[in-house]
Amino acid sequence: MSTEHRTGESPGPGQPTARKQPDLSRRSVIRGAAGLAGAGLAASAITGAIAAPAAAAARPARPASDASRREPVIVHIRDVKSGEMDVFAGTSHARLTDPGLAARLARGIS
Amino acid sequence: MSSHREAPEIAKDPAADSTDVYAFVSPDQPATVTLIANYVPLQEPAGGPNFYEFGDDVRYEIHIDNNGDGRPDVTYRFQFQTKLRNPDTFLYNTGPILSLDSPNWNRRQFYTVSKVNTQGGVTELAAGLTCPPCNIGPLSTPAYPALAGAAVHNLGGGVKVFAGQRAEGFYVDLGSIFDLANLRPFQQLHNQFGMHVFTAPAPGVNATNHLNVHTIAIQVPTTDLVHGSRSGEANPRSVIGVWTTASRQRVRLWDADNGENLDSGPFRQVSRLGNPLINEVIIALGDKDRWNTLPPADDKQFAHYYANPELAGLLPVLYPGVFPNLAALVKSGKARADLEAILLTGIPAGIVPGFQNNTGPLQADMLRLNTAITPAVKPSILGVIGGDLAGFPNGRRVFDDVVTIELRAIAGLTFPLIDKTFTPDKAAGQVTDGLDPSSVSAPYLSQFPYLGVPYSGFDNPS
Repeated sequence: MSTEHRTGESPGPGQPTARKQPDLSRRSVIRGAAGLAGAGLAASAITGAIAAPAAAAARPARPASDASRREPVIVHIRDVKSGEMDVFAGTSHARLTDPGLAARLARGIS
Repeated sequence: MSSHREAPEIAKDPAADSTDVYAFVSPDQPATVTLIANYVPLQEPAGGPNFYEFGDDVRYEIHIDNNGDGRPDVTYRFQFQTKLRNPDTFLYNTGPILSLDSPNWNRRQFYTVSKVNTQGGVTELAAGLTCPPCNIGPLSTPAYPALAGAAVHNLGGGVKVFAGQRAEGFYVDLGSIFDLANLRPFQQLHNQFGMHVFTAPAPGVNATNHLNVHTIAIQVPTTDLVHGSRSGEANPRSVIGVWTTASRQRVRLWDADNGENLDSGPFRQVSRLGNPLINEVIIALGDKDRWNTLPPADDKQFAHYYANPELAGLLPVLYPGVFPNLAALVKSGKARADLEAILLTGIPAGIVPGFQNNTGPLQADMLRLNTAITPAVKPSILGVIGGDLAGFPNGRRVFDDVVTIELRAIAGLTFPLIDKTFTPDKAAGQVTDGLDPSSVSAPYLSQFPYLGVPYSGFDNPS
């Protein structure tokens, strides 16, 4: 069982409610989160290809610019036992409760 | 300082650290209001090779409340983007920067200005606006005033914007104030903790002179800010409350593989500034970081700091025999309703002849500006207590001596506004850190953006 509570961009104090943000579906969250397991528990970045400029063949390649990156999905497991976790992507945040997923992620770094 | 490094957490985050807010009826365009928020404090001009800049990851906003609820009705939002022309040099510029599109200028900043309404609807006013470079020196930025002048953008509809480096216009003797409030002009009267170090007065020292800040300034028609039509000084609708905030996304991750930070999640407020010096010297250390995260609407919980400010109790102790009436007032435990009015609700009509900037009963720390009061022909840097109704605490102009005004108010000078039986100490009308606009080496401008040309790195420090 999992539950989900999704928050938009700016419900914080003093912040006007902002434009509708890109949707953060549970499926995409899990897909992003599952991709984290092999790379680390708390967070990871899903990035685009890193392209070295053709004119820079003589030097090491630099990371691609921000514009060419895909947005990271960052997961903060607040409590492994209860499965409560915060998932962040873009300017969105979702609070999930999924003990099974939390346990699988935790096992990923143990 | 007005709000430079004023709280433990924000002191670690200069790009998001607001330093001063100004709001005033533009003296040269009196149908408009100029709003200024400064960030990135205490910049040594010789800041190369990585000269100071706004944070691309920070959301900067200037808020206007026009109905007294301590929440924004109009917000101007600024979001920056840094672009690098040539990653294969260590240089900020590879030759003189003679124009804002100079190919010699390597690391440039651009920004988007948006307007957010009460419902949270966002309207983009302009995008791709250029910031000027920092003032580097005679070889890199040889015609700086004109270069920066080109970065004043007219957006149409009477709106102008500027975002970039400016000379610090706020003057304050930090060295003396934070050395146990040892104000140099009165240092011989300080108890000196029995050490007898000072026997004579000394002039103030402007600790922020020859330093720069990063300024966000916008000039807009007054009618864009007020609720409904304004019709004179007595009309409550003429009054607006102004403050600035900086926000960051909730999560930051150091991506070690790529050597950069990744930010994610909703934006949350990390810095706030309305009235000067409040989170600096009114709010206690244990509450400063939280104060920075809240809107003015939530300020009732901090009202006790305004009603019984710590500094009012310290002055009679630090200056024995100088403030006997203030000492008695503090001992009485009476709430400083004068300070609460000036800083939290605005001054109601009937207190100061011909003046009000009251926004209603809600206690909210905002810089309140009665937009119907015309600019002074001969301004007083002491604002309303100097008989100039167009100055602080009616908004704030770039040259207002807010340190002296607030010192005198806290010392009891304004208590008779609400209690005619109280006689302020003579010293309450004299106390000062000993500075004035002449303590600022870079002259203020008579037109937008009003703050002076930033000090160049080549010449400062000298």
